[in-house]
Parts: sequence; C-alpha cells; structure tokens
Amino acid sequence: MKVTVNGTVLELDPGTSAIDAVFAAGFDVPYFCSQPYMSPIGACRMCLARIGAPRKERDGSWILDESSGEPKVFYFPAMMATCTTAIMEGMVIDTLSKDVKDAQNAMVEFTLINHPLDCPVCDKGGACELQDRAYEYGTGRSRFVFDKRHQEKHHPLSALITLDRERCIHCKRCVRYFEEVPGDEVLDFIERGGHTYIGTLEDGLPSNFTGNITDICPVGALLDATSRFRGRNWEYDHTFTTSLDDASGSAIVVDARTGRIERIKSGLNPEVNKSWIDDGIRFGHEYADDPERLKRPLLRRGEGFEEVSWEEAAAFVAERLAGFSGKDVGVAIRADATLEEGVAARALAQHVGTGQLDHAPRHGPSLVPLHGATVLDVATADALLVLGDVTEELPALDLRIKDALKGVSPPELFAHGVPIADLRLKERMPRASERLAVVAPYRVDLMKYAGAAVQVPVAGEAAWLQAMAAVAHAQPADEAVLGMPRAEAESLVRAWREAQKPIMIVGGFVLASEAATEAAASLAKAVGFRQVLVPPMANGVGLEITQVLPSHARYDYQGMLGGSAKALVLSNLNPAVDPAVAERLRSCELLVVHDLFLTETARLAHVVLPGTSGYEKDGTMVSLEGRFLPVRAAPVDAGEARDLTGVVKALGEAFGQRLEGRSVRSARRVLRKELGFDPTELHRLGLLRELPRRRAIVSLNVRETVVGDSLRVPSLARPEYLGRNAHLRAALGGPALRLHPEDAAARGLRTGDEVVVPVDGVPRRLEVRVSDAVPRGVSLVPATPEAPAGPAAVALDDLVHERRALEVA
Amino acid sequence: MSSRQPLPTVTPFFADKQERLSEILARYPEYGRRSALMPLLWEVQRAERHVSEARVEEIAEILGLHATEVKGVMSFYGTYHEHPVGRYHLQVCRTLSCSLAGADTLADFLEDELDLVNGETDPEGRFSLQYVECLGSCGTAPVLQVNDTYFERVSRSRCRALLDAMRRDTLPEPTLERGGDNEPNAPDQEGGAA
Amino acid sequence: MSDTASSAPKPITSRFDPRFEPTLYAHVGVPGSHTLSYYRSHGGYEAASKALGLEPKAVVDEVKASGLRGRGGAGFPTGVKWSFMPPVDGRQRFIVCNADESEPGSFKDRYLLEDDPHQLIEGMLIAGWAIQATIGVVYVRGEYYHAYGRLAAAIDEARAAGILGRGVLGSEFDFDLILHRGAGAYICGEETALMNSFEGLRANPRLKPPFPAQAGVYGLPSTINNVESFCAAVHIVARGAAWHAAMGTDDSKGMKLYQVSGPVARPGVYEVPMGATFRELIMELAGGPSEPAKAIIPGGSSTPLLPWSDATLDLPMDYGTMAKHRSMLGTGGVIVIPERKCIVDAYYNVVRFYAHESCGKCTPCREGSATWLPKMYQKLLAGQGTHEDLALMEDMVKHMRGTAFCPLADACAMPVQASFEHFRHEYEHLVDQGESLYPRRREWAA
Ligand SMILES: Cc1cc2nc3c(=O)[nH]c(=O)nc-3n(C[C@H](O)[C@H](O)[C@H](O)COP(=O)(O)O)c2cc1C
Ligand code: SF4
Ligand code: FES
Ligand code: FES
Repeated sequence: MKVTVNGTVLELDPGTSAIDAVFAAGFDVPYFCSQPYMSPIGACRMCLARIGAPRKERDGSWILDESSGEPKVFYFPAMMATCTTAIMEGMVIDTLSKDVKDAQNAMVEFTLINHPLDCPVCDKGGACELQDRAYEYGTGRSRFVFDKRHQEKHHPLSALITLDRERCIHCKRCVRYFEEVPGDEVLDFIERGGHTYIGTLEDGLPSNFTGNITDICPVGALLDATSRFRGRNWEYDHTFTTSLDDASGSAIVVDARTGRIERIKSGLNPEVNKSWIDDGIRFGHEYADDPERLKRPLLRRGEGFEEVSWEEAAAFVAERLAGFSGKDVGVAIRADATLEEGVAARALAQHVGTGQLDHAPRHGPSLVPLHGATVLDVATADALLVLGDVTEELPALDLRIKDALKGVSPPELFAHGVPIADLRLKERMPRASERLAVVAPYRVDLMKYAGAAVQVPVAGEAAWLQAMAAVAHAQPADEAVLGMPRAEAESLVRAWREAQKPIMIVGGFVLASEAATEAAASLAKAVGFRQVLVPPMANGVGLEITQVLPSHARYDYQGMLGGSAKALVLSNLNPAVDPAVAERLRSCELLVVHDLFLTETARLAHVVLPGTSGYEKDGTMVSLEGRFLPVRAAPVDAGEARDLTGVVKALGEAFGQRLEGRSVRSARRVLRKELGFDPTELHRLGLLRELPRRRAIVSLNVRETVVGDSLRVPSLARPEYLGRNAHLRAALGGPALRLHPEDAAARGLRTGDEVVVPVDGVPRRLEVRVSDAVPRGVSLVPATPEAPAGPAAVALDDLVHERRALEVA
Repeated sequence: MSSRQPLPTVTPFFADKQERLSEILARYPEYGRRSALMPLLWEVQRAERHVSEARVEEIAEILGLHATEVKGVMSFYGTYHEHPVGRYHLQVCRTLSCSLAGADTLADFLEDELDLVNGETDPEGRFSLQYVECLGSCGTAPVLQVNDTYFERVSRSRCRALLDAMRRDTLPEPTLERGGDNEPNAPDQEGGAA
Repeated sequence: MSDTASSAPKPITSRFDPRFEPTLYAHVGVPGSHTLSYYRSHGGYEAASKALGLEPKAVVDEVKASGLRGRGGAGFPTGVKWSFMPPVDGRQRFIVCNADESEPGSFKDRYLLEDDPHQLIEGMLIAGWAIQATIGVVYVRGEYYHAYGRLAAAIDEARAAGILGRGVLGSEFDFDLILHRGAGAYICGEETALMNSFEGLRANPRLKPPFPAQAGVYGLPSTINNVESFCAAVHIVARGAAWHAAMGTDDSKGMKLYQVSGPVARPGVYEVPMGATFRELIMELAGGPSEPAKAIIPGGSSTPLLPWSDATLDLPMDYGTMAKHRSMLGTGGVIVIPERKCIVDAYYNVVRFYAHESCGKCTPCREGSATWLPKMYQKLLAGQGTHEDLALMEDMVKHMRGTAFCPLADACAMPVQASFEHFRHEYEHLVDQGESLYPRRREWAA
C-alpha cells in the first residue's frame, strides 16, 4: 500500500500500523505504551499524528480533488494514535506540523505532571524513555504548580523487583506483559482514574518470567532489585552475549561496571527468545561476584592449600601426569563449556593419550533428533506435545509454546527492527489450548494452558508413549496407561496427524531413559512429529558434535568416577557431593579441579585451578535447535581465573607443547575445519546449522540409580549456584523437597521446614514445600548437574528435621 | 515458582451458599464464567458490607483467576469496599443538579450531625458517609442513598426524620417520586424544587 | 413553536399538537404498571408478536425507516446500527441494553426500568429478533437497585409466561435475558467499557475497530442500545415507521424523553416530540424557572451550555440544531442554571464528576480531566487564580479534546470550553476580585 509520511512516499504491506510506517519512512514519533511483541493499546496518546486518507465514491472510484485531479485526502477530525491505526491505501501521515507538535508537547506535559522527576537518584536515568521523549518532544517547562501524586516509592513487588509507584506513567506495558507473554496475570492496575496504580496480591509474583517487566518499563518504576542503586546507565559496559544458563541460546546483555556484573537484561533474538528471558537467566548472576570466588590457582600442601602461580600449578600437573599411563587419565567437563573449551579438553585428552573424555550431565541418546525442529517452528506449530516440565527446564521454550497458542506468526522485521505496533496482537487474545498436550509425572505449570494434560506415573513416560503409538497404529492400548478414554487418545492422534506442523518437545524425564526416548521417537515417526530435545545443560549439543565423548561407554564420566581413571581432570564438576564418590576420589592419585569455587570436590584436589563463569569467557555455544551462538566475555574482574582454553594453554606450556585449543583463537582454527565456518564471524543472532547425529553411546553417564518412586526435577535456577544468588534464592526459596499435602501431613512436615533427607543415598538439605501439584507418594527434589532430571529414591523415612517453619498466625 | 504463604483460614463465604453460587454461575454462558465476578463481589459486599482479602481470594479461586485480577476489578468500582461500611451507608450526591438543590448544605449537615467526614464510618458501625456522583435522581434532587435505597427530595426536615429513624434502627419506606407529569400521587403534592 | 406553512402534513413538533400521544412514558408513575398483567392489559407484547411474524430484515428496515436515532447520547441511527451485524454464522449473537444511565442530568431510563420494565423486555425481544441474537444482556447501573429488582421480577414473570426462554411467544425463536448489575462507574456507560465490565474485566474502553457488531460481548457479534431506544422500537413496530417519522424535524424523528432539572417549578421527565423547543419544555411543561436563569445545559452535563435567552428558548431540541449551536442533544437531560450560581463553581462541579469517573487508561484524561483540571478549578475558587491560569486551562482543555482514547475526556473538556466562551467574565471576575461574582449559596429546602 502506498503511504505518504511527511512527504515521503513508501510502499508497505497492508496491516502495517501507522507508527511503523512513520519509522519505516525514517521519521520518529514518540511512544510510551507500545512495545514490540505486545499488543498496541493506544493508551499513552504520545504517538498522535494528523492522518488523512482518500475516500471512495459509491461506485468505488476515488473522490478527486477538484484542483489537482488527484484523490482528495480527507483528514480525520481528531488526531489519531498512530500505534492503533492501520495504514490505508493513499494514507497521508503528518508528524511534523505545528498541530502535532502542540499535541506532543501537551502529552509530554500531561505525562510529567505526576512524575517525580527524581532522575538524579533514579536507576533508569540516562536510559529512560520518558527522559528522552520529554527532552525531544516537550517544551522543557511544566505549568503544573501543585503537589504531585504521592505513592509508595520502594515497594518490593517481589524479592527481585522493586516498584516506585510515583514514577509509573500507566503505560500498562507490565500489566499487559503478564497477560500476553507468560499468561500469568499476577500484576494488574488497582483503583481507577488518577488513583490508578499497579499492584499484586500474589505473593512474590509467581511466574518464571517476572524480570522482563524491568526491561520494558519505560521509566524507572520497575527496577531489577539486584542492581538497584548500583550504577548509572552511562557507566555500564554492555556486553551482548548468549546465556549459558540453559540450552535455549537466549540473547542477553551483561551490564558491568568497574569490573563487576551489575545486572543482566534480555537481548533481542527474534528467532530465539524475542526480547524475553526467564528469571533464572536474568537474576542468576550474583554468584559470579561472590567473594568466595577462586582468584588464583591452589596447590595442596599437606591438609591445606597454597596459592601459587599458574606456571607452578601447571608444572606440577604436567610433572605428575607424566607419571601415568595415558589411558589412566580422565578428563570431564561440565556441559555448559563452550565449543572452544570442548576442543581444548579434547586436545588435552589426545595429548595424554586417553579415551576417557566426557561432558556431564549428558544423556545416553544423542541430542540431535532425526527430524528436528527449530524454536521458531515451535512458535508457529499447530500441534504440540510437551513431555516434561519445560517451564522450569527450558523456560524460553515455554514462551514460544504460548506464542503458538496465540497463532500469530512472527512479524516481518522492518529496517527499524521488530514492529513497534503489530496490529495482529490484541489484549486478552484467545489461546488455542487444543493445540497443546502436556505429559508429565506431576502437575506442571504448562498444563494450565493445555487442551490435554496427562499426569503419568514416575518413569511412566515410556509406557504412555508406547500406548499412544499403539493407538496411532490402531493397536490395543490400556486406557489406564493412556490416562484418557481411547476415543480421546484417538482424536489427539488424529489432530497431530492432521496438523501442518506438529512438534514434540522431549524433556529430561524422557531423555533420562533409553526406552522412553526410543518410544518418543517411534511415536514421533508414527504421527509425523518433528522433535525438539531439551539438553540437560547449555552446550550439550555443541559438546556432543565436537565429540567431547568417551571412546567407549565404560570410559564415560561415571566410569571415570567409578575407578577407570587414576588421574582426573574435572572442570566445573562436583561429584564429591556424594559421600561415596568423595570417598573414592580421596584415593585418586591425581585430582585436578577447575572451578569457580572451592567445592567439595575441589577440597579433595591436588591442584585447584580458578575457572571463569559463563559471563567471563569468549566462545561459542550450540543451542538445542542447532544454532551456533557467540558467547562474549564481559569486562569483569575474575582475578587470574581462566576458561578451559587457558588451562590447556598453561598445561601445554608445561608439557612444552602447542596444544590445539590453547586459546579461543586456536580452538576456532580447529572448529573452522570441522564445522566449515569460522565461529569468529558469527552474527549475534547466530547461525542455524544442520547437525550430524552421533553414534549412540550407550551410556552410564546418567547416574545409575535405584529407580525410586520420586523425581529429580529441573528448575530454572541453577541449583549449583542458588545458594550464592541471594536475590533469586529469596524469591524462589531454597532447594525444595516438594510433597503432596497428605504425605506432608503424615510426617508432620510443613512448608518452610528445613530437612536433611537422603536422595539416592546422598544427604541433601532441602526446604519442605507442600503442594497439591505433586502426586501422592511422590517427592520432588531439585535435579543438579551431578544428578539431572529423572527418577530418584528419596528416603523420607530417614529424613531429619533441622528446623521447623514458624507458625503462621 | 515462589511459594505462597497460606493465609489464616476463614470459613469460605460460599461454603454454605452453594446453591446461590451455582445460580449465579449459571446465569452466564460457560465461556463467560468470569462475568460472575461482579455478582459474586456483590453477594459478599451486601452480606459483609465489604469484601475482605480472604473473600477476594475465595472468589478468585471459584473463577480460576488470580486474586490480583479480582482486586483489579473490584477496586475499579466505587461501591465495593475494602473496609466495612456502616449498617447505614449514607451516599450523598453532590453533582450539579443536586448541588443546585442544596446537596452541599445537606452534605455539611450530615457531616455535622454524624460527626463524620467523607469516607468515614462511626465507631459503632452504624453510619458511614460517602459522597457520590449523580445517582440519576436529578429531577427529584437532592437525593440521599441509604444502602440500596434512594430517598429523594431530601429536605432538612426529611433528612432529620430519616436520621432519627436510623438511629432507632428503622428505615422508613422511601416515597415514590417521579417528578414531571408522572407523579404517582396528586401532581401538586409537596415538592418541586426549593 | 415554529410554524412553517407547507402543503404536506405538518410534522408533529409539539406536545400540544393534538396528534401527539405519549407512549414511552404513558404508564410511568401508575401504580402497578411494572407488572406483566398491567402491561398486557395495555397492549403489551403485541408488538413483539407482530415483529416475530415479520422477517428480521423487515424489522430492521422498519426501524431504519422510522428515523430513530440512538437515545443514549450519540444519536446514531438505530436501524443502521442493527444492519451492521454480520451474517448469521452459527456464533452466539448478543443484544445489549445500556442501562448504565449516569450522565449528570439524565434520569429518564431509571423510571422506564422501574415502572415499565416489560416495555424494555419487549423492545429487546424485538431487537433480538431483528438481529437474530438469542441472548440479551441488560447492564443496569449498580445504584439502580430498585430498578434492578423490578426488572428481575419482570424477567421472571416473562419467563414464566413464555415470553422469554425457548420458543418465545409461541414462535420458534429462543430468547433470554441476562441481568447484570454495575457497581458505580460512569465509564461503564461507554459501550465497550460496558462489555469489559460485563465480562468481569476492568471497565476500560476497548479499541474500536473492531466495533461491537464484529467483536462485542465475549468477542462475539453484538449490538448495544440505550433503554429508551429499545422502548421506542416497541412503538415503531406497533404503530409503524410512518407514525414515528411524522414526529420531529428533518434529522430527528419521533418522540424523546427530555429531562429537566435545576430550579424549575416541575422538574422531571417529559415525553415530547423531537424538535419541541426549550421554551415548551422548560417554560410550559416544567413550569419555568423558579428564579432567574442564565444558562441551559441541553443534554447532560457533557453537552456545552447555551446562554439563557429568548433565542435559545426558541431553539428546537433536535440533533442538528444543537450541533449547529456547537452543542449536543446528548441524553436530553436539560439542566437549568440559575443566575446566582457561580459558573466557575458549577463547572468545577461538572469537572469533579468527570475527574471522579475517568477510567485512567489514557494520559490526557487521567492527568487532565482527573488531576490537573480540577486542581486548577480549586485554585481559582480559592481566590488564587491568575489570568495565566485561565489561559492555561483553556490550553489544557484544547489539548484534552480529540486526543483521548474515548469521548470521556471530550465530555469533560467541551462544556468547560463553552463555559469560558459564554461566561468568561465570571472567570475573570473571580481572578480579579479573588471571589466569585455569585457567592456560594446555602439554600436547602427546609
Ligand atoms: C463516557 C460515556 C458514557 C456513556 N454513558 C452512557 C449511558 O449511561 N447510557 C447510554 O445509553 N449510553 C451511554 N453512552 C453511549 C454509549 O457508548 C452508546 O453509544 C449507546 O449506549 C448506544 O446506544 P444508542 O445507539 O441506543 O444510543 C456513553 C458514552 C460514553 C463515551
Ligand atoms: S478518555 Fe481515556 S482515561 Fe478517560 S475514560 Fe476514556 S479511556 Fe479512560
Ligand atoms: S498511544 Fe501509546 S504509543 Fe500510541
Ligand atoms: S445530580 Fe444528583 S442525582 Fe443527578
């Protein structure tokens, strides 16, 4: 459609909003309530413009202007909000005339009358849309001489978010956000008119995605509590990188100041996380700044450690390693290491000549499905079967599933980016819940949005999948196993088969079991699902395709711990939380631990090397959909900490060898050969690649457990760091033992009680949380990198009560 | 997900009113269950003269909503109260037509007589005073709404008599007034504007 | 009364025209008029039976031909609105009655609801048939408790008598009503805010388009009208479009319920043909002002006032004439403002109303109508105003007009502008002298 903006003529697709037309034409118009990826509502009235359009005669021809002979432009009698006006053929938009300027001045003045203008003490100062717009579109003076509205200034909406009610300009972005994006309506306007304010009755904003409102708040009303009063916006160094907290590949911006991380904001990646991240990613960074971080290498001296230089530490390791036959050495790294670190670990193993190389946690089966789907496919799927608890396991996927339920395809991008006002998005859109089926061993959050929700018994996924496959093949199936009448199962299968884009999302409960994974693949084949497999950690896919894998199943991580390795190099792994493993590690002849903290395992080590957090290294990760994404180091002070490439460099120097992967750059030379592209050149939004499937490594990696009737469950907060992420911990509570109310009552347990209970033989300190989302007879405990999601044995009979919760009045 | 601290338990309002509850829910189509929100708030407001947070949570539970949403709706309206109003909730219209008929003086009179300011309830919980906007009784102004009942053409003497009656815990029947040429009684009975 | 001679039968524009007969308010005030038996004994539900015997489209056409314009304030042609409904496609359709009457100076719907609820039910039944909606929603303002009770009882009676429910009045048509009670919020009278309120949401107005016919109640096709509009439809069907069109002026047909309040001898509701003059309404029917008057608000407090004069009194009360005089017919709620009422005080009162009722969604209204403007009035009335303040107020209302999300901010700004236009001297006097030209009055009937 032809549109003229301030004299500039351009062609745009029908459905485009006038505000996007203005930006597309290269002009600016101020706005407060519109927000990319959310519905335009026309509330702030900041984006007003004079708009006209030609009209047609009854016979369909244009009414012509007598003098020019051109279609006559009829201006609307009042100014129009450009964000809620769709373009029309021949529309004329004027944002520069005096009338428009006057209206903009007036709207700025109205907006400011009740705004405290406390910019000098406001965290948003320098990055405030109101500040900017007032400067650009205001008159610079206010004629409002009265006392401003007084409201609460430091209201803790939750442990993570602080609200200043005086600063709020009622754009409704935050309120709409909760309804439109996660679908958790935990924030609303209270009162009306001039008294309207935002508030909640929900204790602590129960949603996994609360922090995004601090990004979209145009003013300093909603602030990230972890960074409040910590710095001014212009002092921050912004590092655009990728989160290594999960395998979503979510874009993040790390804001650092004078060498420390102050906050994390969502980055923009339209095909991955749009502009949303979960609270685990956003608020889970405080550990990186923990005073207990290891800053220098440590060498064991008797019962204690001595700080040494990297050279000394490396020389010690090199000398000791020389005493082992290569094949007795084991190298294991945590599955959130970068590709470059993987190359380094591989080079180290090659150099010493061992096949004992692995990353953990790792599932037995490959993470590269036969017929994979992308995150964007999920967002546009018309049938989804979710196996597990994605809201906790990979929250970014939860939001894209909810996109699919809205059924609005991702917007075309403009030169100015994501449409500011996508007119297809509406407040309170209907969600096509019938598109979603969720299967999990307890009541997971996503079931609220699902047309079909099945609660299977613990480890019952395989049976359920087989039963559904049987239904798909018109074979008999047990309704008790299906969890629904056969007719319903049949109609589900029919819907899946008829769908254009049916997708199955396979979470950790299924991947933990070979049989269940196979059953999932068979069902996928039977009805035509493409699969998305959820890796247990950020770079599981990447480390798999770079072959950071054992030469034989018995040399996997569990094998190494079980005794196949006499000398062990562990990066960011802490198996000694299990006292039995600790016992074995004590007799390990050489234990080298590379970690951020002096963990239980590090305490047993001969050498401890200080490691970097995911914000402090450069590298590459591969997300669950096979997207290669850059990881960039933020300018923070990590002492002498090095990532694995640094470790390998130091060791290589001590060996007198130039090992591959002794720097990010040298690792990339290798990767370039193997991948066919240079990761150095990766765009911020990443590169999607077809991935090779690896040969099945029947693995012991998933720790062999007495299959209990309980479950280790995923959590959006990294359990290994929860204790050091003070704000996140305050919001989520400590690691939880979740029980059904009756089970809790039977043992006299109440929410808030602190207990120590053996989980697969490992005593764990947990906080009781009573919840009817848990089935009777099942205990839910957090999965850890050492013991990822899957069935567990929780010995409630051996539970020790450490501290009882306070009585509620 | 964060943990909710359980609130102190109170007997649910609708525990013994299941029939009434079903009747209200049944008024609306299945997909419009949320429409029952205002009627449910009304039920509680009328019975308890306010809607407490526990009731807000209960209604949210019934309708499958978050308590925040119920609160957002409830607080939008002028006639659901967070704190109990008195047994006689006096609502005085002070909008233009009533004002022209003496409503401001009537309001002052009530403040003085009851020793209340706008928005207050007396310590015995008998009277509350609230200023409200046009009640659609402009032709029979000024109007005083007591709980749900209109008293129109409230003159000083009528107002006094009304207060006396309420102090004795009786509420007289309202007079039926229509104004114009639709007066139910003789067209020239007491009244007209002052 | 105007008396243009012409050959065609002269349209009825006076209540004193012998051809005029009250219909809408014929029974208001009659004891027992709210009962079904009374209603039936006065020809009740015959129009509905007649309508059910016609094609729905024929009913719509009849209402179109009658020239009826919506009586809720905006005056949109009712039949045209009905024809906006999309073709029947199996989705539920709704007919909605706006009984939220809250515009200051308006009180006509209340007595219809209290004393003639069956008239409304019949009107909604006719409209429901015309647009093929099987569910009607009546949204009654929360304060109208008596009316709510009368309507609830009438609905019960109608159900019991087969007038509502399955196969109404012996036809194949199913129709029932949902009665919904508001809770004190003027904005719920705005049609889309009303729908949000009905759905159990905060009553902010919605974006238009989509209009209610496309996406109304629960996002389904809906048509909304005022109580009086529905009642008028009953008589249009009963007596024919021509009967209705014989009353009124070119752009305003039929009878209308005008309301008179303020200091007049007989305030109240008067049913007169459209195009009757203020003089007839105020001087003849309502008995004239009981003290000298200086202004007339023609149609509820949001409509710009007209100065009291012989010329004004001779204006016919119709849509076009009011528009020509830069005011509006609104709800027909006429308020007479006495000479001795300070206009600044009067408009502070009006502004206070809109301030109280702003929904808070959009900036010019939340910060202008609800916050700044009333504060300016307070400042003026405290004797602290300046001429710059007056200029500021005029500038402010100028920018509240046409910039807000819904017409409420206009409803606040327009009458203020008119008060400045016609009574600037009172504002200036207050500024210059520090006190009102007309001091506050304490009169209250003994
Ligand atoms: C702020 C505002 C308040 C309104 N209040 C009412 C009202 O109380 N009653 C009413 O019938 N219409 C009211 N309206 C008009 C309605 O939006 C709508 O136009 C009307 O109900 C349509 O009915 P009609 O076509 O029969 O007049 C109001 C409009 C606005 C903008
Ligand atoms: S003008 Fe704006 S704030 Fe006022 S009632 Fe309408 S939408 Fe709400
Ligand atoms: S009205 Fe707020 S951006 Fe358009
Ligand atoms: S002004 Fe008081 S009832 Fe209308």
